[in-house]
Amino acid sequence: MEASSIDIIVFAPLAPILGVLLFWFIQLVFIESEKYLLSKIRSKHEPFVRFTNFLGILFQTICHALGYTVTKSGISNFYIGVDYGKVAPKKEKKGIFEWISNVFLFIGPFFIPAFLLLICLYFLMTSGFEIVTPSQVLDLKYTFGGQITIFGASLYTFTTGFFNFLVNIDLLHPAHFGFLLLMIFLGMGIRPSYIAMEKMEKVDMLYDLKNIRNLIINRPLYLIILFTIAYIFFYVSFWLEQNWYIAFFVILGWLSIISLLSIFIADMIILLIKTTDDIPGGWKIFTYATLPFSYIITRVIFFYIPTDFTKPVSIMILILSTTIVTYILVKRKSNKFKTKRDIKLLKKKSKGEKNG
Amino acid sequence: MDEDDLLKGEKVEKILSPHPLSFMRYQSLSLFLIIWGIVAGWLIIFSEWNNLFSENEWYPILVWGLVLLLAGVIASILTIRWSIFFLYLGIFAGGIALMLSQGWLDASGLFIPFYTVSISIIGFLIVEAYRRSHKYYISNQRITFKGGIITKQERTLRYDKITDINAKQGIIGQIFGFGTIIPISQSGFGLGSDKSFAGGGVQLGEKKVKLLGLFGGGKEVQTPRARSYYELHGVYPYKEIKKLVEEMVQGNVITPYQQEQVAFQKEQVDIQKQMRDLLKMQSESKTDKKDQGENSEE
Repeated sequence: MEASSIDIIVFAPLAPILGVLLFWFIQLVFIESEKYLLSKIRSKHEPFVRFTNFLGILFQTICHALGYTVTKSGISNFYIGVDYGKVAPKKEKKGIFEWISNVFLFIGPFFIPAFLLLICLYFLMTSGFEIVTPSQVLDLKYTFGGQITIFGASLYTFTTGFFNFLVNIDLLHPAHFGFLLLMIFLGMGIRPSYIAMEKMEKVDMLYDLKNIRNLIINRPLYLIILFTIAYIFFYVSFWLEQNWYIAFFVILGWLSIISLLSIFIADMIILLIKTTDDIPGGWKIFTYATLPFSYIITRVIFFYIPTDFTKPVSIMILILSTTIVTYILVKRKSNKFKTKRDIKLLKKKSKGEKNG
Repeated sequence: MDEDDLLKGEKVEKILSPHPLSFMRYQSLSLFLIIWGIVAGWLIIFSEWNNLFSENEWYPILVWGLVLLLAGVIASILTIRWSIFFLYLGIFAGGIALMLSQGWLDASGLFIPFYTVSISIIGFLIVEAYRRSHKYYISNQRITFKGGIITKQERTLRYDKITDINAKQGIIGQIFGFGTIIPISQSGFGLGSDKSFAGGGVQLGEKKVKLLGLFGGGKEVQTPRARSYYELHGVYPYKEIKKLVEEMVQGNVITPYQQEQVAFQKEQVDIQKQMRDLLKMQSESKTDKKDQGENSEE
């Protein structure tokens, strides 16, 4: 099958860009779910939400500062608080420099925290960092289909390796445990908007999208320049028969996958906090105690009775036992998960107590 | 604060203690010990490098001590307090002494994590006892700072003696809603100073003829600083307490307008006093004249 020249010249460079855009959009949706969950627990867990706000602001401010550093504007003022962060440039640069620093501010928080995790993963993960070369996709090579196949295949390899690592994570290994903590913290911080006391315009995904749209509409020329650079980069890679162009976007895709998983784990933790809020008094301690105890007990058992899949089974037991304990406590100690029959019985019981 | 300690008309508005996380500076020292104790235990017993440590019984102790002392040096440089280094040095020396005296050198893999974690727990308990020893009473007339585990310390500050209020809130404070308020008195109590010094030396010449020169310079900056017993350290809720203290100070400070009013009232009182004296003198002279008239009639 012969690849058409229009496909190679016009469409092929777009393939990885579209792939990254798709992942970035999914990331936005995930972030929205995290914001929603955080706003739900705000009233009862004010310090926790303030902490996540701080993490979000920290990354956003660092990205903004990075933008000013890259554009050689310099930094005259740098402040990070729980409510807001501030970065002021030494020299007010206009035009493309201002635009680039704004790109760092709005898009940086989605990728830069994940980049930190990617560096850690490089030392912890045994496989998954392979990027498929164009020669591996036979005739497709530098066509739209070929590029999207390479992009997808490279992401699949990485995702498999990453899942494999997460499933086999050893929580008694300081580096693995530290990575998980970092992943949770970064998952809470990959959130460019601020969770306020009341619902604000800033809290929704549309605000972020509006900012990015304005960035594009106000300066369409810069976007055209960026696309031109991307196309030139693709043609150079094509001419030298290298996979540099696709490799760049594959790395962005990896960052998106790391972000998605980090946000997912952070979401699960926030959900656990939200669920345990329904458990009255000190009973909720049992839920949180189940997390380390179930894991340590399982690992101790497996230490004396060595078997295959020790680590994944221990992780599974941790998740299952925590879920079961939480479910039982919520069912027994609150009105949740109660059937009509149970509620009737409870009413009868309370009536009986009143009469008797 | 006992009833006997209260002044006439004094009413206690708030009784405060520092927030449990307000001494994170000290708690972090213990936190580091816990983390390093666990990591050291893992390194010596479970890690893939455990064979290295089993070669010589002193290897685990050396690695453990080296990291401990290195952390002590870094923390001391960052906080400009060499006491942290000496504290870690003491822990290291204590550990070695205990191992040698008890003959536990061959079981250092087990001893090191247990010893480090135990010391850190003791550290946490000491910090907690220190925190709990603080008590601040905000009354309508003054602020009383009390504290001390062994030696009891007390500071009383009347609102009219407060010239400035310095308030600070770190990141943990912002997250958990606590902060430190330093009331600075007219005498300068509540002020500390940051000193910096730079020095350099030159040696010129070779062999027998040498010229030695030394030069240096220093700078001192006044900054609000006080011991935790003499400030409202890590009080919660920070914003509310800050407002309360500021209102109390404001209520006890005489504004220029009020000063004018007081001077005017004083003037009025003086005039009234003079008038009263005059009237008194007039009435006295009248009665004298009457008496004289009556005497002459007789």
